[in-house]
Amino acid sequence: MNRAARIGWGLAAVLVVLGVAAGRAWFPAAVEAPYRRVGSWGGAGTAPGRFRNPIGIAFDAGRVSVADSLNHRIQVFTPDGRFLRSIEVPDRGRPMNLAAAGGRVYAADYWNDDVLVFSSDGRLLRTFGTPGRSGSAPGEFNSPAGVAVGPKGNVFVADFYNQRVQELAPDGRFLRQWGHTGKKGYVPAGWFNYPIDVAVAPDGSVYVADGYNDRIQVFAADGRFLRKWGGPFAANLRGPFNGWFRTPTAVAIGPRGAVFVADQENDRIQKFTPEGRFLTAFGTVHRGPGYTETGVAVAPDGTVYTTNLIDDRVEVWRARGGR
Amino acid sequence: MNRLRSAFATVLLAGLAGGAVTTPLSAAPATPVPLPLYRVHVEGLACPFCAYGIEKKLSRLPGVRKVHTDLRSETVTVTMKPGATLKAGEVRKAVRAAGFTLKGFEPAGTKR
Repeated sequence: MNRAARIGWGLAAVLVVLGVAAGRAWFPAAVEAPYRRVGSWGGAGTAPGRFRNPIGIAFDAGRVSVADSLNHRIQVFTPDGRFLRSIEVPDRGRPMNLAAAGGRVYAADYWNDDVLVFSSDGRLLRTFGTPGRSGSAPGEFNSPAGVAVGPKGNVFVADFYNQRVQELAPDGRFLRQWGHTGKKGYVPAGWFNYPIDVAVAPDGSVYVADGYNDRIQVFAADGRFLRKWGGPFAANLRGPFNGWFRTPTAVAIGPRGAVFVADQENDRIQKFTPEGRFLTAFGTVHRGPGYTETGVAVAPDGTVYTTNLIDDRVEVWRARGGR
Repeated sequence: MNRLRSAFATVLLAGLAGGAVTTPLSAAPATPVPLPLYRVHVEGLACPFCAYGIEKKLSRLPGVRKVHTDLRSETVTVTMKPGATLKAGEVRKAVRAAGFTLKGFEPAGTKR
């Protein structure tokens, strides 16, 4: 074999190895069975228990809270779907992604540029931001889309049009932000392209659904960037494959730190390890225009609750053969 | 004097009668003023976050009365105030501010 042929074969072998490695990394196989749907409630309408564009969903203290955005309310249910109460969002607001912790419900009101905190019986306890006025100063919002509560009670807000995630103290003081106010970034870490939701793990790690970058970004409790995933190099590439996204609209942390992402335009929920390794995917496929899985919440027993936007329903999912 | 009283009474009655004739006319329901409608086409309007963003920006334009987004058909319908028109430059700017590109828009009749 002459020298040129040896180099050629060597290069081909390297390409094959790289291809196999990339294939495993970028097209991972599922290692868990898909969850099965065990329940559903709702339907289109304005009556109690019905929805018009349900978006966010949160689970806390045995209650499921649902952002019923076009009915300008949050509805609260038992885990099996029995209607308990409706919380009106002031000024015909549109609640988007929710958080629930310590008996309180936190709502990102996209329409009125504020974040609302309600007691378990539906009283408005606190408002972050200035209702009805968008802004880009620290502590102000421009269409907040998602909210989370950290282990110390700090509030994290996905500030959609400001291209940032803000961390606020429980009293509303601005603490810090990730992202560059009003500026989009597509490939580098720490930049966002319309952040839609945020979740905080028990260790304080912050998970951001970086919506139109089709990726998840993770930051440590001290603010450092840790990792990102979603397609090759998590570089603003969208697709239908395992581990890729087409507009992640919600993120939630489950038992043992599992990360659940509502991958809306793929009509599915994807489940990952905290490090971003793909585990499984499941969801309701919609035959027709519009998409289904938009919001996601996980109960302490591992049951997953999702909002099906186009069918105006809540869906309940469980792992096959256990949690 | 009697003749004068009689003439006054005649004029008064005629006035009242005229009023009785004209009152129902003035109380008749006004003809609804037609409200111009426009259909706005934007690509990738599937997620509610972008749809509401466009709705929010368009609803703040001058002359806009109501904006409705249909996620199934990916169209935005804009209802204007009576006599108002939607201007191309303003629509393009609002859609761009919402993070999207305007594919086009056209008048879609009127609504009463």
